[in-house]
Amino acid sequence: MRGLWVVAVALASPILAQGRSPSAELLLSESEAGRPGGRLVFALRSEPKTLNPVTAVDIPSREVIGRLMADLVHIDRQTQQTAPALAKSWRVSSDGRHYTLELRRGLRFSDGHPFDADDVVFSFGCYLDERNGSPQRDLLIVGGKPIVVRKLDAHRVTVDLEQPFAAAERLFDSNSMLPRHLLEKAQQEGRLAQAWGLGAAPADMAGLGPFRLKSYVPGDRLVLERNPHYWKVDRAGRPLPYLDEIVFLLVPSEDAQVVRFKAGETDLISRLSAANFAALARDPAAGRYRLEDLGPGLEYSFLFFNLNDLGGRLEAVSRKQAWFGQTAFRQAVSAALDRDGIVRLVYQGRATSLATHVTPGNKLWVNRALPPPVRSLARARDLLARAGFSWSGEGALTDGGGTPVEFTIVTNAANASRVQMARVVQDDLRQLGMRVQLVPLENRALLDRVLQSHDYDAALMALASGDVDPTSEMNVWISSGPTHLWRLGASAPSAPGEKEIDELMRRQAVTLDPRERKRLYDRVQELVADNLPLIPLVLCAVECRRAVLAALTAAGARRSLPCISCTPCRR
Amino acid sequence: MVRLARRALHGLLLLIGVSALSFLLVELAPGDYFAEMRLDPRVSEATLRTLRSRYGLDRPLPERYLRWVASLARGELGYSFAYGQPVGPLLWPRVRNTLLLTVTATALAWMLAVPLGAWWATRRRGPVNAGLAGVTAALLALPDLVLALGLLLLALRTGWFPAGGMVSLGHEQMAWSERVGDVAAHLVLPVTALVLGILPVLVRYVRAGVADALDAPFVRAARAHGIPPRHVMFRHALPAAANPLISLFGLSLAGLLSTSLLVEVVMSWPGLGPLLLEAILARDFYLVLGPVLASTLLLVSGNLVADALLLAADPRIRAAGR
Repeated sequence: MRGLWVVAVALASPILAQGRSPSAELLLSESEAGRPGGRLVFALRSEPKTLNPVTAVDIPSREVIGRLMADLVHIDRQTQQTAPALAKSWRVSSDGRHYTLELRRGLRFSDGHPFDADDVVFSFGCYLDERNGSPQRDLLIVGGKPIVVRKLDAHRVTVDLEQPFAAAERLFDSNSMLPRHLLEKAQQEGRLAQAWGLGAAPADMAGLGPFRLKSYVPGDRLVLERNPHYWKVDRAGRPLPYLDEIVFLLVPSEDAQVVRFKAGETDLISRLSAANFAALARDPAAGRYRLEDLGPGLEYSFLFFNLNDLGGRLEAVSRKQAWFGQTAFRQAVSAALDRDGIVRLVYQGRATSLATHVTPGNKLWVNRALPPPVRSLARARDLLARAGFSWSGEGALTDGGGTPVEFTIVTNAANASRVQMARVVQDDLRQLGMRVQLVPLENRALLDRVLQSHDYDAALMALASGDVDPTSEMNVWISSGPTHLWRLGASAPSAPGEKEIDELMRRQAVTLDPRERKRLYDRVQELVADNLPLIPLVLCAVECRRAVLAALTAAGARRSLPCISCTPCRR
Repeated sequence: MVRLARRALHGLLLLIGVSALSFLLVELAPGDYFAEMRLDPRVSEATLRTLRSRYGLDRPLPERYLRWVASLARGELGYSFAYGQPVGPLLWPRVRNTLLLTVTATALAWMLAVPLGAWWATRRRGPVNAGLAGVTAALLALPDLVLALGLLLLALRTGWFPAGGMVSLGHEQMAWSERVGDVAAHLVLPVTALVLGILPVLVRYVRAGVADALDAPFVRAARAHGIPPRHVMFRHALPAAANPLISLFGLSLAGLLSTSLLVEVVMSWPGLGPLLLEAILARDFYLVLGPVLASTLLLVSGNLVADALLLAADPRIRAAGR
């Protein structure tokens, strides 16, 4: 088998460090060096629900687990490229279907037990076991079949795929390696999904992440302490992490988070509204902390119309689908939207207009050739007129049959920014003669309408993928995908461009040449921008940061940041 | 006793009715816990089906209700979808924290309300009457949320009190007496918010009851006989005004798990509030039903306690029961 060794040697030099085996192949961190010691207090909006990486779905749980556990290959959230982690290198076969991963030697779990290939095989077995209902399972199904992980020797494993998969390396990120010695019994007895709940004793848990569980106080806090067996060192060969402790403090409301941060009780807060960001930025005590811009995220907000096959139900919605289904109608709506107004009014300038679903935060895949969306009521009117719409004497838009164009937009009532955004959209479309009603709904009721009953005209929502790679968006863009929100459960592509998008998405997933993949995905973005199955609005620059918006006390948390950045926050 | 036994039976029937109705209403609410997972582009329909099946959401409604009732008997109170564990162990530590807050606040509010209301009843004209009427009306009109946020701002500006939470970092390393002081310091703001919310209602009830009693012929007769005013108030007027206050006290007990929910969320108090709010928004059905049932239980118990106290306090009720 002719192969290619992809990743490097330089980062894998054996270094002696306290608490680690002398022969351990540690990873040299290239982050800025810091000083050991200290405690970082991080406010969480909601409590983590579990410490079990196999079943965790909520963001707080994943944030904590990201500090407790480690994966074979890690996606560097800055470069967005894969980097070695527990696997020091890997090799891919020429047909792209077989990966051989070489594990670092001499590593230990946080309880001191050695880590080897058996743990890797065990971990993937747990993720793939249907009984566990792991959300990661679907990522490990390639070409309709689960990946096969086999042990070659104590420090090498192979991973076999049913078909070539362009983003295969990224499969090894986000799948934390589990300690077989602690969880094998639970897995054999079918109890793994119940293991490692929040009440788990620290002695019953072990991971390969920079920290380990110290204590949990229900509803209040979760404290992690430094893992003495962690496998990264700084440039000077000093063991990482630097911090002695991380405290995750539950502070359920955003306003209370800001108050406690300003009172010096917490060191970091995340996902601030634009108003709170502005308040922190102009606070006279601002000298005591700093607002760090960690770059744009991947979450995109959008407006979409109900294009579902209603099968004779919901007659009122069905009638309007004659408008919604026209590309010219959606293009006119898009052209009438004042995205800059949304940026200014809703996000106080801290947002970016979007021409397509790929945000500027996705440095690797965004199609920079696409022009930014420009508001043009004249173009919108022209498009509508050509599609057979006309205006009454009072300026109301009517279709060819004389029916006034009226519809409702549903959105999440709990998200104030989104409701405000919908108001701007409502006002913009009024200028086009459309009569739009706004219906803010409780989030689950909204999801029920969009995903189950399809009883809505248009919706304003947002989506964010966990990764920049286009394969993570397959379920959204493939016409039969379960997240193809505007037309769910379709058996075949029907809308303009949809068939081509299906083909392009499927091809990019199995194309191994990165340039060719980029070309294919650029074309997908062009088709989305032209046909507007959903109408991209904005990427908000404050609430939608990929990582945390870090506001650091002068007390010195800054020096400790690189060591928690070893496993940056994920969304 | 017969009266109390009858009320206890009514309470039990109420508990069964509320459990069935709450279960039905929660089930009828649109959307379920797993709906949001459908927005995760990486999660497939098959995985969602597996998860729904694991938690029995694919079973018929009566079967789910019976399973839930069986889990009540085991003390589990159902199973939380979000936490992946029985509801009971999730609730108990938070119930304890909520009760610490609400029992302190309720006791303090009553201790303040009785003398304040009685004093107010003796000053029915003049600036004291107008001032107390204005202050209590303003406090009644002020939403708990605004009150709690205002107190948080006070903590931030002055630095006199912790700005939320129940204990400080490093609480575990403190000596026993320091721990008590630490919790007490954290109690000040949420208890103040709650007392300011409860107090106006209680004060107005006490005032109205005592004022009625003070106008009664027997009190006027007592005064005419030259009995000192303090004696008249505490020996004659207050006991006569006790009946509506005892009923109100029963209702106070019923609200021990629910009055503080909003304040807990704003003040980051690790009680039922944040847990319940999140469970409602996430449609974590059984986690919502647990506190609802516990609150109903408190309502029934509070009414029973009030009945028992009324029986003990008022000979007319005892006589009517015979």
